[in-house]
Amino acid sequence: MAAPFRSCDHCAKPAVVHNTVIVNGKVIEHHLCEEHAAAVTGEAVGPVPINALLGQLAQVGAARARGPTCPTCGLTFHDFKSTGLLGCARCYDTFAATLVPVLELAHGGATQHVGRVPPEADAALKHRNEQLERLSRELGTAVAAEQYEEAARLRDMIHALRPQAPGAPGTGGTDTAPPRGSAP
Amino acid sequence: MSAPAAPRPADDSDVVMSCRVRLARNVAGMPFVGRSTHPQRRETLEAIRGACGTPGATGALVAAAGATGALAWVDMPSMPARDRQLLWERHLVSRTFADGDSPRAVALTQDERFSMMVNEEDHLRVQVLRPGNALRSAFDAAMAVDAALAARLDFAFHPRLGYLTACPTNVGCGIRIGVMVHLRALRLTNELEKVKRAAKELHLAHRGFHGEGTDATGDWFQISNQRTLGVTEHELLEVLAGRVVPAIVNWEREARRALVERQRLLVEDRVHRGVALLQAARLLTLDEAMKQLSTVRLGVSTGLVGGPSLDVINRLTIEVQSAHLRAADPSIEGDDDERAARARIVRAAFGAA
Repeated sequence: MAAPFRSCDHCAKPAVVHNTVIVNGKVIEHHLCEEHAAAVTGEAVGPVPINALLGQLAQVGAARARGPTCPTCGLTFHDFKSTGLLGCARCYDTFAATLVPVLELAHGGATQHVGRVPPEADAALKHRNEQLERLSRELGTAVAAEQYEEAARLRDMIHALRPQAPGAPGTGGTDTAPPRGSAP
Repeated sequence: MSAPAAPRPADDSDVVMSCRVRLARNVAGMPFVGRSTHPQRRETLEAIRGACGTPGATGALVAAAGATGALAWVDMPSMPARDRQLLWERHLVSRTFADGDSPRAVALTQDERFSMMVNEEDHLRVQVLRPGNALRSAFDAAMAVDAALAARLDFAFHPRLGYLTACPTNVGCGIRIGVMVHLRALRLTNELEKVKRAAKELHLAHRGFHGEGTDATGDWFQISNQRTLGVTEHELLEVLAGRVVPAIVNWEREARRALVERQRLLVEDRVHRGVALLQAARLLTLDEAMKQLSTVRLGVSTGLVGGPSLDVINRLTIEVQSAHLRAADPSIEGDDDERAARARIVRAAFGAA
C-alpha cells in the first residue's frame, strides 16, 4: 500500500488540507500545504490535532477502502482513525504507510529516532557498527589487492548487516528512509 | 518613587511554579493499554510492579529520581473518587487516569518529586517534578530513572522510530520536558501572543493549569516540547532550559517591571483589592480564588504588597481546589460548604479574621 501522501497543488511541500468539491457534476480535489492553505483561508493552520489529520488522511485514502488490520492486536485502520492511538508495537509496521505523513507533521518532518537507546539495543548497535567498520576495512584491503571474490563476499556481509526496514526491532538502524511496513 | 527591588529568586520561582520531565514507555511484547483486556492490563501492572516494587529496585529508582522516602503504590480503582481527584489536582495523575476503572496504579514518593502512572495511555508514564525552574536537575533525574527502569524492564523500542508509544505524537524519545509558569503581567499587558508565537516557532505546546484539554484560561501556563522524533533529549532540554524558559522569565519580569513603573497606581489598586477580597470573603468560588491569588501573586513578586510568601500562594493554588478542601474537611457536603471552606483557608493564610 502506497503512502497516502500528496504534495501541495502549488508547491512540493506535503499537503495538510484536503478538500473535495463538486462543481457542475465534476469532482475537484484541492490539496494544500500549511502556507498555501493559510493563504487561501486567511487562517494559520498550525499544529493540526491528530484526529483531524487522520480524518483528512482517511478522506484521501477513501478509495483504498478500510486499510490494513494489525495481525498482532487486530487494530483496524478505522480504530486508529477514530482514537488516534495504535494498539501495539507491530501497529507501527502495519500502518507504516499512513504513519509517515502523521509522523512528519507531528515531528517537524522527522521519521528517524536520534535520541536515547535502551541498553540492549545500544549494545547491539555498537557491536554491529564495529562489525561494519571491520568489514569495510577488509573490503578496502580486498579491493586494493584485487581479490574480487573476497570483496564480493564482504560486500554481501556488509549488506546483510545494514539495518532492515522496520519490523525487525532490535536490529538497530541509522539510515534515514521513511518506515515502510508490509501490509497484510 | 520607585518600587522596592523585586525579589528575584535564583530558581526563578517568581515566574516558574514548577518543572517536570515526563517519560512514556511501554513493556515489550504486550499490547498497548487501549488494546489490552483487563487481565492483560493486570498482567502489565504486575510485571511493572514486580520489577520496580522490590526494595532494591525501589531504592534505586527513588535515588535516581532524587526523591526521598518510600515509593507508595496506590491502586486507583480501589481509591475513593475524592482521593483520585486529589491526585489529579496535584498534577500527579491525568484526568482520564483518575477517572478510569480498569487495572491501573500510581507509584509516588511522599515528596512527589517522583511518580509513575501504570496503564495510562502507555504502560508506564514516569514523572520527575521539581519546584521552581530546576529543569536540568529534573532532566538528569528522569534520565537516571529511565536507566534504572531499563535495567529491570524490556521496553518496546523500534530501531528507526525509537520508543514506541500508543500515540504517534509521543514516539521516539517519548519525553515531555515542561514548566508551569505564572504570566500575570504578560496577560495584563496583552503580550501573551509573544509567548505563544515563540512556543509555536520552537514546536512547543502551551496549555492551561491542568494540561491537555484544559484551556489556557487563568494566568498559569504549561510550556513543553511537542516533537519527540528526530531530536535528542538533550536538544529538547536545551531548547527549553537554555532558550525558552529564560526568555519567558525575562519577558514576564520585564512586563512586571514596566507595569509597576508606568501603571503603578492601577496595579496597586488591583493587588490591594485582591488582598482585601481574599481577607474578607466568606464564600469563594474556585475561579474567583484563582484569579485573585494570581493578582496578589503579582503584587507579592513585585514587592507591592507584603502578604503571604510566594510559597504560601503557590500552595493555596492547589489547596483551594475541590478535592483538597473536601479531604481537609470531610464535613463538606454541598457547593456552599465548599465555597465557605475555601474562603476560610484563604483567610487563614492571609492572617485575617
